[in-house]
Amino acid sequence: MYRKQVRRRRAILVLLIIAALVLLSTQFSEREGGPLHSMQRVVASVFGPMEEGATRALKPARDLVNWFDETFKARGTNSDLTAEVQQLRNELAKTQAAEGENQQLRKLLGLDKQGTLAGYTPVTARVIARSPTVWYSTVTIDKGSGDGVKMNDPVVTGDGLAGRITDVTHGTAEVTLITDDRSAVSARVLPNGPEGVAEPEVGDPSDLLLDFIDKSQPIHKGQILVTAGWSNGVISSAFPPGIPIGQVSETTAGQQQSYQRVHVTPFADIRGLDFVQVATGGPKRPGVPG
Amino acid sequence: MIVTWRIGIRIAVIVVVTIVLQISFFSYLSFFGTTPNVIPLIVVSLGLLGGGMVGAVCGFASGLLLDSALLQTLGVSSLVLLSAGYLAGRYREGAEISNSLIPLLLAGALTTGAAAGFAAIQLMLGVRTPVSLLVLREIFVQGLLAVVLMIPIYPLIRWALRPAIVDDVAFRSARTPITAGASRPRRVRGRRMRRATGVSRP
Repeated sequence: MYRKQVRRRRAILVLLIIAALVLLSTQFSEREGGPLHSMQRVVASVFGPMEEGATRALKPARDLVNWFDETFKARGTNSDLTAEVQQLRNELAKTQAAEGENQQLRKLLGLDKQGTLAGYTPVTARVIARSPTVWYSTVTIDKGSGDGVKMNDPVVTGDGLAGRITDVTHGTAEVTLITDDRSAVSARVLPNGPEGVAEPEVGDPSDLLLDFIDKSQPIHKGQILVTAGWSNGVISSAFPPGIPIGQVSETTAGQQQSYQRVHVTPFADIRGLDFVQVATGGPKRPGVPG
Repeated sequence: MIVTWRIGIRIAVIVVVTIVLQISFFSYLSFFGTTPNVIPLIVVSLGLLGGGMVGAVCGFASGLLLDSALLQTLGVSSLVLLSAGYLAGRYREGAEISNSLIPLLLAGALTTGAAAGFAAIQLMLGVRTPVSLLVLREIFVQGLLAVVLMIPIYPLIRWALRPAIVDDVAFRSARTPITAGASRPRRVRGRRMRRATGVSRP
């Protein structure tokens, strides 16, 4: 009797492990519309309303807990900021002189937010769920195909680019953030810097990397990075040109290397997203499925 | 733990509520730059209370639901959480939980192990971008947070499943054939003796 029980337990355990491995390998090789993806979308649709309700109901509690964390952090950074203010005052004088010129350049480059997403219909969405691990930098929003959201639509916040839509159900959509390892954004350094691909560093949501930039092209701390909106007529970037991405925080290059690595701090607060805007219905970008 | 239909439904409700709370509440919190993860804690608690099979099945189911709800790669969380639940259950089956610190330390160790396992599977599946060393901090801090969060979670799960727990104090105090003689020998024998011999209480 006891042996039979042990054998049954072992069989269940082995079955569960095999099931997990089969799911993993099948889904990995399956195309987007396959049965496992469809099943996943059904479960996500069922969870959607629950997530939305819980997100709304628990927002005050979440804000309270985060307030403690932010206060703790603020005390630590106070002294650093005092020193930085002194330095910034000196820089302000120089910056004001360049401001007028900068405004003109921004307009020319189409960086004005209204101009950047001209032709798109913005849909404001609430973030209702997010992954607990750093390995998936994705969030779920409460707008889906029923609201006109499609695959690969760009997603922005008031500060800058957040990501793009990578999965849609009728009432929800998955946003792959620019800090996810599957994300790569063709970007340009302003005012007339080089173009490259901004990729994340897994585990560090406050850092993007613009790699393999020729060392001869000087890039300085504080320069702004925007989407390049690259296109060659057959294939193109999913993002329209001119959406602000972030600010250069550091450039590194080895002495033996002919290229430099540019670290960029995203403008969008990736970990604190509550509301985002999905740019829907824009002009068709060649090669981008939507 | 005796798993009846009612207890099964309770466990299912616990798992679903935990997943909803995780993805719409805990995932938004940040402690020392890390997001707390309560799902391994629930799985470890269920393993500690119900044994290896309950832990493994609950771990597999929670992982499957989590991956489905977040449209992540199916099977990764299931594999990691079923291992955590099974190991917690095996510990319970093989050793007595004599100290109240054991569930906390076990939760910390298994959550760290689960986070490391998750990272290992992701790396094996292929990560297209560089991996920051901050991932190690994330794994370590998640383990520490698990120890702290287990303080309220373990008693809460135990309370929610108390009718099914065989060695629970409330269950023990009831005069059932299983526990009457074993757990309270002196008192029971004394009463029986008094009743049998007709001696009144002094």
